[in-house]
Amino acid sequence: MDVLGFQPMWYVPTIGSATVIAIIATIHVMASHTSVGASILLAYLATKAYRENIPQIYDYIKRYLLALLVFSYVSGSITGPGIWFSATVANPRGISALIHNFVWVWAAEWIWFVAEVTLVYILYYTLGRIDQKSWLRLAWTFAIGSWATMYIIVGILSFMLSPGHEKWFTTGNILDAFYNKNYFPHLLMRSSFMFAIAGTIGIVIASLMKKDVPENVYKSIVKTMSYWGIGGLVFGTMFFGWYVSTLPERSLIMLAGIVPKWYYALIFGILLVLLAHFVLTSIKPTVARPYIAYPIYALIFFMGVYPEEKIRETIRKPYVAGEFVWVNQIIARDVPAKGIKSEVDTIKEKGFLKVNPFVPEGLKTITPENKIMAGKAIAILQCSGCHNVTGASGLRPFAKKFEGMTSEDAVYGFLSNYLTPQAHPAYMPYFVGKDEELRALSAYIADMVSKGGRVSAKIEVPTSSIQAHK
Amino acid sequence: MSMVAYQNLTRWLLLGVLALMLLGGRLAFAGQSLADVSAMLKAMADPAGAPFFPVVMQILQVLTWALHIVFVWTSIGGLFYAIYGFTRKDPNHQRLAKAMLELSKVSVSLAIVLGVAPLLFYQVIYDPLWYASANLSASWYIMFIVSLLIGYYLIWGAYFTRMKPQIATLFSIGGVIFLLLVGFIIHVVNYQALYPEKWVEWYTSGGTTMNHTGWGIYAFNIFRYLAFLVFPAISVIGVFMMLYAWYFGKRPEFERDYVNFSAKLGAKLALMGGAGWIVFHVLYIFSVPADWNAKGSIFAWLSVLGLLLCAGVIFIAQKNPIGMAIPSLVAGTVATLLIAVFREYLRVASTVRFGYSIYEYKVNLEWLSPMLFLGTTLTGLILYAYAWWMAYKAGRTPKGEVYQASETEHHLGEVSVFIVILWAIVFVGTGLIIIARNYI
Repeated sequence: MDVLGFQPMWYVPTIGSATVIAIIATIHVMASHTSVGASILLAYLATKAYRENIPQIYDYIKRYLLALLVFSYVSGSITGPGIWFSATVANPRGISALIHNFVWVWAAEWIWFVAEVTLVYILYYTLGRIDQKSWLRLAWTFAIGSWATMYIIVGILSFMLSPGHEKWFTTGNILDAFYNKNYFPHLLMRSSFMFAIAGTIGIVIASLMKKDVPENVYKSIVKTMSYWGIGGLVFGTMFFGWYVSTLPERSLIMLAGIVPKWYYALIFGILLVLLAHFVLTSIKPTVARPYIAYPIYALIFFMGVYPEEKIRETIRKPYVAGEFVWVNQIIARDVPAKGIKSEVDTIKEKGFLKVNPFVPEGLKTITPENKIMAGKAIAILQCSGCHNVTGASGLRPFAKKFEGMTSEDAVYGFLSNYLTPQAHPAYMPYFVGKDEELRALSAYIADMVSKGGRVSAKIEVPTSSIQAHK
Repeated sequence: MSMVAYQNLTRWLLLGVLALMLLGGRLAFAGQSLADVSAMLKAMADPAGAPFFPVVMQILQVLTWALHIVFVWTSIGGLFYAIYGFTRKDPNHQRLAKAMLELSKVSVSLAIVLGVAPLLFYQVIYDPLWYASANLSASWYIMFIVSLLIGYYLIWGAYFTRMKPQIATLFSIGGVIFLLLVGFIIHVVNYQALYPEKWVEWYTSGGTTMNHTGWGIYAFNIFRYLAFLVFPAISVIGVFMMLYAWYFGKRPEFERDYVNFSAKLGAKLALMGGAGWIVFHVLYIFSVPADWNAKGSIFAWLSVLGLLLCAGVIFIAQKNPIGMAIPSLVAGTVATLLIAVFREYLRVASTVRFGYSIYEYKVNLEWLSPMLFLGTTLTGLILYAYAWWMAYKAGRTPKGEVYQASETEHHLGEVSVFIVILWAIVFVGTGLIIIARNYI
């Protein structure tokens, strides 16, 4: 058996596995940015309470900590591994490439995770139980420790997009890969926006306990949240501009031409809503209302973070990690420093279905009987990372892309001209496999379109093919 | 609803979960040739290799798994007891149920965060096992996250309604069902991973299809599940009750009667749960395929010996459970570590059959990132020491009083803040130097 290291494929019809990752990642970004931003805001407020002797601020801090525990530290701590789990099953070789490069870096991040989670409980339980100075020290170590988790993950996220510098491929130096040229703008952009996210939830909590604290304290808290929020938005937007200027060429092409324009409209819209809200609450803190601030917080999820996650995913294509693992799990280029070899030539020579150990034997050799099913297997294995390959709705659906193309020859003619190393679009890998495999894929697509554009995702290996194999 | 009805409901629910797990765990037996499996395993190992000596990863994996699993056990054990305690009229049971629920709530957080590390080290050296098995049951794998989220929120529901025991019981039952489901999923994934010769057969249903929906559950071992999750949860929560009595017994608002009650009950539970633990652990050893040589392995019997040692200490502890709380913790730690080593032995044994050895895993040695980890660990240890010490002191301070840190503690606090800031400066500074070197 001559095989390459492919894993069993997971196919999610219609929405695609990428959307599963995006949903989990969005929840995580909301939760983690809220908690990291809040950790710094709360340490700042605690210092203010200590210096200016305003003990009522501690009541607010305690309430905020509880909100963090219930929301951020449940949702955030579960969806953190959740991103990892979903990426494992959606892009096993992509996440594997990241883990094998950055295992120690992730382990270092884990040290801060543990610090963060234990400290949030300790802060909550010891507030008012230990002297203020000691509590303040714990609050600041919590703030810096929480932020440190962002320091680390941003480097890995940058590498996902690109190793940044060509020399990494030959030196393999982990620092060259980690401190990408967009590392700092990325870190500063996220660090800024997180204050806007944490500030919004801070206003929700303040307005909920308006009656429990003296008016001047209440105003001071709301103003603090608003000012930090405004600062976060202004600096975040500036750093976003810087971040864009450090993106690789292909990502810029995709930002300009492929990313849907309405994503930008949503993001721009939520930035304006947030700015207007913060300006209003900073001028007149008494107008802060939970039923206004909370929906705004929820809107950040749909209008801010979700489109941002989708954009980040799109501009990374056709790769999922380090500009050498394609979204279809094929290793697309050599990484001499790590002894990694491109799989393209092997697949071209031996056939895509042959080298995947998880393809049934009865589909490895294409015959007239199994051609459609072999084509479906190829579609699921090679295309479903970005396409719904069995329907006409959802993620870039095949039935829409190939609308009206009911002849195998027509589909083949199109694909064989379009998905070549020379002509393929910047965001899509070219087809890798034998010519008969491209024909099988074409036959499947034509068959699906002629059946009305929607077929079962099930793969049935014809009995004759199983017998032939035996 | 009467208390008896609640108790019955609880029992039936738990039995129902176990029955479902048994039904869900259909076993398939088929195989590829040894050479095929060997080639497949080697091809599936990431071509980047491990960035450090695999044995170091393995040791870290064992240590961090042991740490993780203790909090898994206290999460589930705490809920088991809370469900029982809430149904009892006795005020001591009611009070202890609330305390164990609180322990369970915090434990879930710690179990989640601590669980990241062993998985990280595991998938660097055993990547074919991790990825293949996870992807075989991919949809379940996603349900792991969803179930954990639901389970955790149900536990928070129980915590917020703890003053209304009937409602809290229902939330706790929901919580424990979801946690057991989460445990079931990770058990299945880890267990399937041990049978590389069956992966292709499972995934293709004997060559007839591709099970890409990810809803297949291909292997389940009830002995392993009970020995690694259910019984230890009961036993370990017992030891934690003894520790609870030892720690809080010093505070004036904890009456003698209640403290003794907690410790005694804890010792009893530790012994009862421990008995089941040993039985199912031995049964599991006997259910391991003969060619893995588990029955002849020193690691298998060391793990049994660890459990027996633990049982012995807990047996002695029945007479003086508060005094024996710390020795029981130590014995429990030894047993847990030996079980972690035995688990690791099973992975080695299941893969050497196909010539896959982590000790021969491709290594792309580099020193910078392990140094980052080491530096961060040292920073973290200083910070943990300070934070945990302050928490320990605060917990022992009577209610209504504020603990005043000593001079030494203030100094440790300053060191802790300083070293955390220093870490950040070094981290950012290194980044600036690298970027200046590469891009300017």
